[in-house]
Amino acid sequence: MQGSEQSFLSHIAKILGRDKPLTSAPNRDEVGPPVFWKEQKFDINQPLAFFKTNLENLTGKVYLAKDDQDASQQIRIWLEELEAKRVIMWDHEELRKIVHLEDANVQLDYWSQGRPQAELIIAAEKADVGITWADYAIGYTGTLALFSSPTQGRSVSSLPTVHIAVFRKENLVPTMSTVMENLMERRSTQNVPAAIDFITGPSRTSDIEMDLSIGVHGPVKVWTIVIEQGGNVQYQNGMREEVPMEKDEVLYT
Amino acid sequence: MSHKPNLHLRDRARKAIKDEPMRKAVQKAVDRLSGNREKAQTELPNWDDWREQGKRIRKHTVDHLDYYLGQLSESVRNKGGHIHFAQTAEEARRVIIDICKKNNGKLVAKSKSMVTEEIHLNPALEKEGMEVIETDLAEYILQLAGETPSHIIVPAIHKNRYQIAELFSKVAGKTIEPDTPALTAFARQTLRQKFMQADIGITGCNFAIADTGAISLVTNEGNARLTASLPKVLISVMGMERVLPTFDDLEVILSLLPRHATGQKLTSYISVVNAPRKVNEKDGAEEFHLVIVDNGRSRLLADEEFRQALHCTRCGACFNVCPVYRQIGGHAYGSVYGGPIGAVITPFLEDDFDFWGELSYATTLCAACSSVCSVKIPLHDLLIKIRRKRIELGFTHPLERVGFNMWRRFFKFPGRYKFAMKMASIGQIPLVKDGYIRSGPPPLSGWTDSRYLPAAAKKTFREIWQEKYE
Ligand code: SF4
Repeated sequence: MQGSEQSFLSHIAKILGRDKPLTSAPNRDEVGPPVFWKEQKFDINQPLAFFKTNLENLTGKVYLAKDDQDASQQIRIWLEELEAKRVIMWDHEELRKIVHLEDANVQLDYWSQGRPQAELIIAAEKADVGITWADYAIGYTGTLALFSSPTQGRSVSSLPTVHIAVFRKENLVPTMSTVMENLMERRSTQNVPAAIDFITGPSRTSDIEMDLSIGVHGPVKVWTIVIEQGGNVQYQNGMREEVPMEKDEVLYT
Repeated sequence: MSHKPNLHLRDRARKAIKDEPMRKAVQKAVDRLSGNREKAQTELPNWDDWREQGKRIRKHTVDHLDYYLGQLSESVRNKGGHIHFAQTAEEARRVIIDICKKNNGKLVAKSKSMVTEEIHLNPALEKEGMEVIETDLAEYILQLAGETPSHIIVPAIHKNRYQIAELFSKVAGKTIEPDTPALTAFARQTLRQKFMQADIGITGCNFAIADTGAISLVTNEGNARLTASLPKVLISVMGMERVLPTFDDLEVILSLLPRHATGQKLTSYISVVNAPRKVNEKDGAEEFHLVIVDNGRSRLLADEEFRQALHCTRCGACFNVCPVYRQIGGHAYGSVYGGPIGAVITPFLEDDFDFWGELSYATTLCAACSSVCSVKIPLHDLLIKIRRKRIELGFTHPLERVGFNMWRRFFKFPGRYKFAMKMASIGQIPLVKDGYIRSGPPPLSGWTDSRYLPAAAKKTFREIWQEKYE
């Protein structure tokens, strides 16, 4: 501990009426969200229904794919619609299974471990579309949660003009609480990602005369594909370890 | 540190009142933001429970700030980050300049941060020969205009699209059309280049998580994400109170902050940055510094009544409902933090109740601020207490004190009081306009210099009483 830290903390402790800074965790009566929020149950269809409404309200798109093949098809349709020439994608096992562009007229870059940093960032900056696999999607707010890793670069969802996120229906959770619980568990095993990005719709600003404008820094469009079919692979970087939702929920009131 | 405006509060307000376009823009903004907040309020169940919970969490954290800052410091160091504690603005500037110099920083990309405004960081970095670029659209506009924020959430609300187009055209060297999409596109292009070149990123910190050492950044544009993930070195600057114990607590604040600020369920981006990057990651800062700043906050902490002002989430809801802010906008306050919360904390941060304590008079004490505060800070109550503190410290206008002394002398004796009130009712005639005395001769001017005095009634209460009941 540096001297300045010591004196800074001692100063605060003294103001708070303590001889020296507190070093054991103080008792807390209440932690986190209000009790009713933690105890609420959700209908099994809530997350998807909410996610779709919320994201669409923010100009996003939500495509419901029956299975991997359907998702694969939809990605090609969208890339064509967007006239995408360059695409950058997380080097994710699920995405490798689903995204096939060999015969399309598109340059596809993978955010993979082996490639030099400068090359990857330029590829992301030049890309029309960035494709990610969402670790979680949150129904209540229409939010994607992306965890960074060596194969899951942040630039893929921040630099391209359009962000397409793919995930399975089972990745959908009712509220942010599930994600926070997961992060707290990861904390106990020193496994919190270097970045957790909650993304709710496209980049926006109302800084000019309160006039809403889309895409000031990040993607102009956020489109998502939800695959109904369950996954049967263990994700390689261990981003999912538990099924987040109880299945016996009653309707949320 | 002293960055006092040249004009007196009364003159700053007068000047603002005359700026009709600015006032219209401010009124449009606060009405929109307030309306959105009210709508959000109907959509989140048990709104008040959330505020109450937010308040409890903030109170617990601030009451145990020594523990949580110690824990935060350890968490940051454990994962390879650097932590710095700065007692004063001067110290904070020095720490940040040193980090930039050590890394041979030439271009600094910044995302919106009130605390860096507070420590006047940009001029200090520029003096060292660095180029500093604000990347939040509003802050970029203000940087080009050489102005300061006028609202905590929409800082450039006083500028219209024509003024902005003029500023951008100067940078572009060609005409940029004064419509929002063209202006936004220009900013995207220009700032994107800067992001790709910047070697240092500087962000604020909405809230840090003590047990993890992560910081959270709440934005709609996504500029904080880029600031925190592209440059090699990341420096995050936080006021010492901006910490929460765990991720669980962050969920509560994130449920409150965007809804109170803009009525959004969540802002487009909530970036939780747990820097530095992990081995083999190809973006994200390689070097992370967290700078924790006191700069007068411990004076708030030391005052048991005012400590709760440190619970603030900086949501701006109190600005949006304040009838005074609505009329004068942010610049008239003259302080880094305006609005009701600014009026409460500035005298402490600046350690000057004489000059900055006057901001407590830029309020009507209507309590609208307290009723909307995201963590239920009783702002109007604290504003009265600032006025009281000023009087205790002897900082009221000397003539106002003479006035009250005279009042006391007359009040003591019914005969004298009766006579005085009658004389007031007659003597005031040349001064009254629309039922108020707007400026009076001394000692009355001690009062009327900063507000209107209701005129004395034609008949005194005693006369009416006598007519009716005696
Ligand atoms: S004082 Fe309350 S209402 Fe005002 S900015 Fe802070 S949290 Fe928001």
